[in-house]
Amino acid sequence: MPFHLTDEQEIVRASLRQFAETEVKPLAAQLDREHRPPLETIPKLADLGVLGMTIPPPYGGSGTDYLSFVLALEELARVCATTAVMVEVHASLVATSILRFGDQAQKTHYLPELAAGRLIGAFALTEPGAGSDAAALTTRAEADPDGFVLNGQKIFITNGGFAGVFVVLARTSPAVGPKSISAFLVDRDRPGLSVGEPERKMGIRGSSTVSLLFDDLKLPRSALLGQLGQGFAIAMSGLDGGRTGIAAQALGIAQGAYEEAVAYAKQRVQFGQPIARLQAIQWLVADMATEIEAGRCLVYQAADRQDRGLPFSDAAAKAKLFCGPMATRVTHSALQILGGNGYTEAYPVERMCRDARITEIYEGTNEIQRLVIARSALR
Amino acid sequence: MTWINYVIATGRPVEGLVERATAVGGGPVWGLAVGPAPVAQRLAQSGVERVVWFETAADVPAEALARGLAAQVTARPGLVWAGRTAPERVLLGAAAAALRAPVLTDAVDLWLEDDRLVARQAALAGRLWLTLAFDRPVAILLEGGPAQADQPTRASVEIVAGPALTHPLRQVDWRPRGGAPVDLKAARRVVAVGRGLKAALDLGLIEALAEALGAEVACSRPLAEGLGWLPKDRYVGVSGQQVSPQLYCAVGLSGQAQHLAGARTADLIVAINSDPDAPVMAAADYILCGDLYQLVPALTEALS
Amino acid sequence: MRIVVAHKWAADPQEAVVGADGAVDWSRARPAVSEYDAVAIAVGRQLADASGAELVGLSVGGPTAAAPLAAKAALARGLDSALIVADPALAEADSAVTAQVLAAAVTELGQVGLVLTGDCSVDRGARLTPAVLAGWLDWVCLAEVSAVRWDPTGLSLERESDGGWQSLTLSPPAVLALAAGAVYPPVPGMKDVLAAARKPIRQLDLGQLGLELIRAPLLLAAAPAPAPDRRGVVIDAMDPALAAAELVARLSHDGLTWEGRP
Repeated sequence: MPFHLTDEQEIVRASLRQFAETEVKPLAAQLDREHRPPLETIPKLADLGVLGMTIPPPYGGSGTDYLSFVLALEELARVCATTAVMVEVHASLVATSILRFGDQAQKTHYLPELAAGRLIGAFALTEPGAGSDAAALTTRAEADPDGFVLNGQKIFITNGGFAGVFVVLARTSPAVGPKSISAFLVDRDRPGLSVGEPERKMGIRGSSTVSLLFDDLKLPRSALLGQLGQGFAIAMSGLDGGRTGIAAQALGIAQGAYEEAVAYAKQRVQFGQPIARLQAIQWLVADMATEIEAGRCLVYQAADRQDRGLPFSDAAAKAKLFCGPMATRVTHSALQILGGNGYTEAYPVERMCRDARITEIYEGTNEIQRLVIARSALR
Repeated sequence: MTWINYVIATGRPVEGLVERATAVGGGPVWGLAVGPAPVAQRLAQSGVERVVWFETAADVPAEALARGLAAQVTARPGLVWAGRTAPERVLLGAAAAALRAPVLTDAVDLWLEDDRLVARQAALAGRLWLTLAFDRPVAILLEGGPAQADQPTRASVEIVAGPALTHPLRQVDWRPRGGAPVDLKAARRVVAVGRGLKAALDLGLIEALAEALGAEVACSRPLAEGLGWLPKDRYVGVSGQQVSPQLYCAVGLSGQAQHLAGARTADLIVAINSDPDAPVMAAADYILCGDLYQLVPALTEALS
Repeated sequence: MRIVVAHKWAADPQEAVVGADGAVDWSRARPAVSEYDAVAIAVGRQLADASGAELVGLSVGGPTAAAPLAAKAALARGLDSALIVADPALAEADSAVTAQVLAAAVTELGQVGLVLTGDCSVDRGARLTPAVLAGWLDWVCLAEVSAVRWDPTGLSLERESDGGWQSLTLSPPAVLALAAGAVYPPVPGMKDVLAAARKPIRQLDLGQLGLELIRAPLLLAAAPAPAPDRRGVVIDAMDPALAAAELVARLSHDGLTWEGRP
């Protein structure tokens, strides 16, 4: 399958490369060290139009294609995985869900705010007893005369510490089955919402990952996103595109580590020559380059299918299943090339190793991706 | 045909350029002085045969006289030599266009051969050396600077007025920047600092070392252009200053090709850097691998 | 009125590979809008907005300059339209030839009051093109300009000169080379990228300009620059005081002296 980027996609990549190098990379180590989200980057990402890439111009977004958005994520992740996942959840999971399933009032109210970065979005699906198994959700939204009353708990909510709006998946019927779940738009200032302390994590430490507690949280009927009982479909739809986004994040992390390793190998002299001249290093580099290129093909293809309106769940799952473990392997090969230096915080590779690992876990573990792929293959 | 060698002067010393033109040009060397009287008077004692003076009032920058200078060189074509400051370049460009001449920049060596000017040019940020042959006339952009050898004071030669064709250009104000202007090209010793310096406040360390060494402070491009810690005239590199000191001490400076090309002709290079693999280490005579925050004060101490 | 920004589509020479025979391999290098030209485009946008002028990008070069990507990348930085002169004869053009063609294109375009350029191009860095261009046009030229203000009566400029700040006035037409740090050029935003696709791009045929190009110098030889002939003496820096003493001793031995020392 021949594949090349359009001029516009090339320029998007070049812009994001420059932005990432000058505005994002200098913060990456600090965010990691201080477990702090890149709040100062949000207005800059909004000005650049990145927060609104999935939002059409009538709603204040830049409305690029999805492949351009994926390129942006790749470039951000290349220098800072934390910044990339913040954008991914905001623009992919949240903005896309509102765009696809929101009514006119919801779109007019939320999308311009999301595009301008005045509001950051978070996606609340996971619960203590329900991770991959969405059918096990226990958070419930009970109908009352004014709308709904929300009770329950969510965990591992990315962007949760500062998000202004949450897409919350909750049970609206005790019955079993996909129609028992609905999605709601919950503003941060609703009484009854409490946000927990950020998790201390192995990687993407700057990303704000929190728990949410809903205690008799009252929602008007207008907070329902899509139809009653459509929540499961909304979650799956968001996660499909989201998987391509996380695959792009993994790809970017791998690319960043690869470049660090190559630059180091050319400069580091051992036994009287740069280690890049040693075959042991060359083989590592060749394998890394090949794996990254393979991953890139899968990611771009999944995004391209989405842009063309073709089914892409299967392609997105394959991209994520390949790129997550690929990023883990490539970052660890990079660490090996940097040797003792790589193990220290003086170089970014140890951080990249820690950051890469989550891409095998969130927005569907490797195992869940295999389920999706197998279901499609054996249909 | 005899080709005149024109050397453009706008106030900066051009004795070195006059020497080169005399040694290489194969013809009489004339000075083109653009500026107030002292510019013409100094040029008249620099070893040129005669001076054509384009007088400017105090509030008229040299660039305004480009038109007159172009008329002068077309009247009698030749080789035009000029240094790298902004007004010198503008005047040289006007001459090049008027003469329909090719331009020579970044020459590391040049000589006459079979009636052609042959030059070795450092292209690609100094990474590639091209040998090029030019038919005359040629416009030559070359680092000028003071005379190489100690020259006796010369008698002044004739000064004649050039065509007074001017562009509408006026200086309305001039405010001195804090600190004296620096001519790095004339500096015998230079301490250059790069991104290894963590904060502008730490420049004090570098200044102290420069003082102990009797050196001028210089820097890499990011410090002058991105960070603005030092004025632009202290930045060494392909597009900045090109220096030839006795001693070039590179502190916390990685040494990209674009930077090192500006210090290529230094007699001695000392590199102080924490990264043993930085390119500057491969281009130095003396290499100290360590923390500049310890090494620089120690060196200042050892010198005083 | 029109304001022209002369910009170049060029790759960073750092990314070129110089072979042992002096052949240059650019295949790994990615061309882009030359770094400092982005400064000129940003300043040009401000001036065009202030004066109501049309901001036209003008790029001269080999066939790669005609790639739609090259024009769109410059347009995304804020130009209103793009004018391109691309020809194989211009692939290796130096400052003299580039300036000559730029001048002819500016004349052909017409109604141009101001030409802006960056401080220098990333690939050649000669810093002479704007000066020669102004010579061809017989316009006034100023380099290292750090600020430009548009007044109905003319232009007010600022630049760093002779250790001070110089304020100048001039009447257009003029060629101005902007100082590298005149503004920090913004990264093209996503909306700018999409808008660039809808802006007009016009190509001018080199033959149409009817020029007799300045004769390029004859290339006699090319070789990689010789490795710097340096001593490469490593001084053990474990103990800073001892290292400093050794360096001072060695420099003294090399004949350097300073106050308080022989």
